[in-house]
Amino acid sequence: MTELTVFDPPQCCSTGVCGPSVDPKLSKLAADLDWLKKQGVAVTRYNLSQQPGAFVENATIKGILERRGEDALPVFLVDGEVMSQGSYPDREALAGWVGVKAQSSETESGGCCGADAEKQQGSGCC
Amino acid sequence: MDFLENTTRNLFFTGKGGVGKTSLACASALALAEQGKRVLLVSTDPASNIDEVLETDLGDTPRPVPSVDNLHALNIDPEKAAEAYRERVVGPYRGQLPEAIVRSMEEQLSGACTVEIAAFDAFAGLLGDPRAAEGYDHLVFDTAPTGHTLRLLSLPSAWTGYIETNTSGTSCLGPLEGLSAQKGVYAGAVAALADGARTTLVLVSRPETAALEDAARSCTELRALGVGNQHLVVNGVFRASDDRDPVARALEARGQRALAAMPAALVELPRSERPLRARAPMGLAGLRVLLGTEDAPAPQPAGIATPEGETFERLVDSLERDGRGAVMTLGKGGVGKTTLAARIAVALAARGHYVHLTTTDPAAHVEAAVGGELPTGLTIGRVDPQAETERYRAHVMATAGADMDEEGRKLLEEDLRSPCTEEIAVFQAFARTVARAEDEIVVLDTAPTGHTILLLDAAQAYHRELGRQSQGVAPEVEHLLPRLRDPHYTHMLICTLPEATPVHEAAALQADLRRAGIEPAAWIANQALTPLTVTDPVLRARQAQEARYLREILAEHHSRLIIEPWSEDYS
Repeated sequence: MTELTVFDPPQCCSTGVCGPSVDPKLSKLAADLDWLKKQGVAVTRYNLSQQPGAFVENATIKGILERRGEDALPVFLVDGEVMSQGSYPDREALAGWVGVKAQSSETESGGCCGADAEKQQGSGCC
Repeated sequence: MDFLENTTRNLFFTGKGGVGKTSLACASALALAEQGKRVLLVSTDPASNIDEVLETDLGDTPRPVPSVDNLHALNIDPEKAAEAYRERVVGPYRGQLPEAIVRSMEEQLSGACTVEIAAFDAFAGLLGDPRAAEGYDHLVFDTAPTGHTLRLLSLPSAWTGYIETNTSGTSCLGPLEGLSAQKGVYAGAVAALADGARTTLVLVSRPETAALEDAARSCTELRALGVGNQHLVVNGVFRASDDRDPVARALEARGQRALAAMPAALVELPRSERPLRARAPMGLAGLRVLLGTEDAPAPQPAGIATPEGETFERLVDSLERDGRGAVMTLGKGGVGKTTLAARIAVALAARGHYVHLTTTDPAAHVEAAVGGELPTGLTIGRVDPQAETERYRAHVMATAGADMDEEGRKLLEEDLRSPCTEEIAVFQAFARTVARAEDEIVVLDTAPTGHTILLLDAAQAYHRELGRQSQGVAPEVEHLLPRLRDPHYTHMLICTLPEATPVHEAAALQADLRRAGIEPAAWIANQALTPLTVTDPVLRARQAQEARYLREILAEHHSRLIIEPWSEDYS
């Protein structure tokens, strides 16, 4: 199975509902990642302020952070290979990386504090 | 008192600042210890004055209280607990990641929720871990957890969703991540709070409308979360002993009116009353007086050197200078913020300015405070948290939720019921109101807490990072912090009563503001007996004690102090 790993900048929640305004880019990414999971892609997402261990243990990410600092985030890896740095790809790009055919742009998920596909996850906020 | 007879193992004291909850918690702990029970007294108040009340130094582990057998006490400082938590999460990566990144991580873990949760973590351990406090018969807590924290920690689905799959993504339970080993302890704490056989919640109030309403809100909110065993203590009930003293008569009448109009939620609760005492209950002797039947001898009223303050009129002079800008009354509930805001607004309008007065209080109260007819140029608005939250939800659904299918929208809607949604919604209303002050004078008593300001500060730093990729923040939000930091635009007035706890809490609020780069314009010591002539012995004694706190404000907190006399017109 293809593995997509996202290393997010330090942030409060994945969709920005907790911030002074909702960032549509973040809500959209959450929905796109959820869609990818449903296509059978293994998606893992790490947030620097919450799971710093993941950043340090991954030599590639650690190296990127040392060279470019926080500006390099988010970093997207597919099977360990760096696909993009410092920007949020759209669904087509994501689908292309993992070899899935992108369907309609209908999105499915995204919510405050909701992790990608955790439907039962009520909430609670930063 | 009633709640100390055959009482539960855990006792929580909660209520507004200045109602006497710390004194009552200390007095109850002392009384139980003197019955031969082994008692642990716990405070989670950042500006705790348990040290002051018990006349001893406390730390974050239980220490024996000198000359009282069986009584131990500890003081959890939420800021320190949050610092320790941050260090636990971030510390191992110091030196492993670039310093700027470590700083940025720390910033993300400095929000209000982190502080709240870290403090809850510290005392949930005592409550929820059967081994933690096993040597004690009673645990007495000064300050109950807020509804917000309890809601956050009692969301079992959130726990399942997050803890069991904690690599699945970012989550709003973020601050809890480093604490995930504590899941069982939290569940135990929440269960203990909800168990009436184990826990009593003591709501403390003064015989004042605002304090009683605050207690009623806590009562309803905590009951909804399962905390059902509640008791009301009305502290500081005053009976005039000198009927030639008009202030004493008016004060007694005001208390009786407030009690007669007690909110329905409180009427049903078992209730105790404590009389207003001549002196603050400091030290062990003072605490015994608080629960006993005899008053302490009054202190000598000699040697009152009241510091000179500025007048209300001089304050208004300085506020009208630019003919626009925001005036905010800040402080704990019950210190008279709304009334002061209304008086300032009326005074400014009477001088010919366009003034907009905004409050979270029901409009009826403001109109009463304004005193009947609105002067020309004065408009009154109201921030209704429920309406603002609805409006915010609708906005998010229409923007972020616009492209989603039904399943996605349902999920987003559910997430928008989170506890911080209301905070954000009110916050945005606040930002819009402050923006209005570009063209007129806006007087607000909807002051955000210091924590909210710090959260905004962190959030703005975060948005600066994302600014390149995102659509950016609404302009009124983007300009809010610079406006609040501009002394020519925003005049923050710290409101307090001339008593120990309100002054110390106001000082903590001021420290929070200063950390966010905001300098208050002045302090107002409201409802002071100092400028009045009183003959009632209890009031004379209390007047004598005010001087100490007025001096403290001038010496340690702010050079500009307005002392407003107690008045039955402004209640």
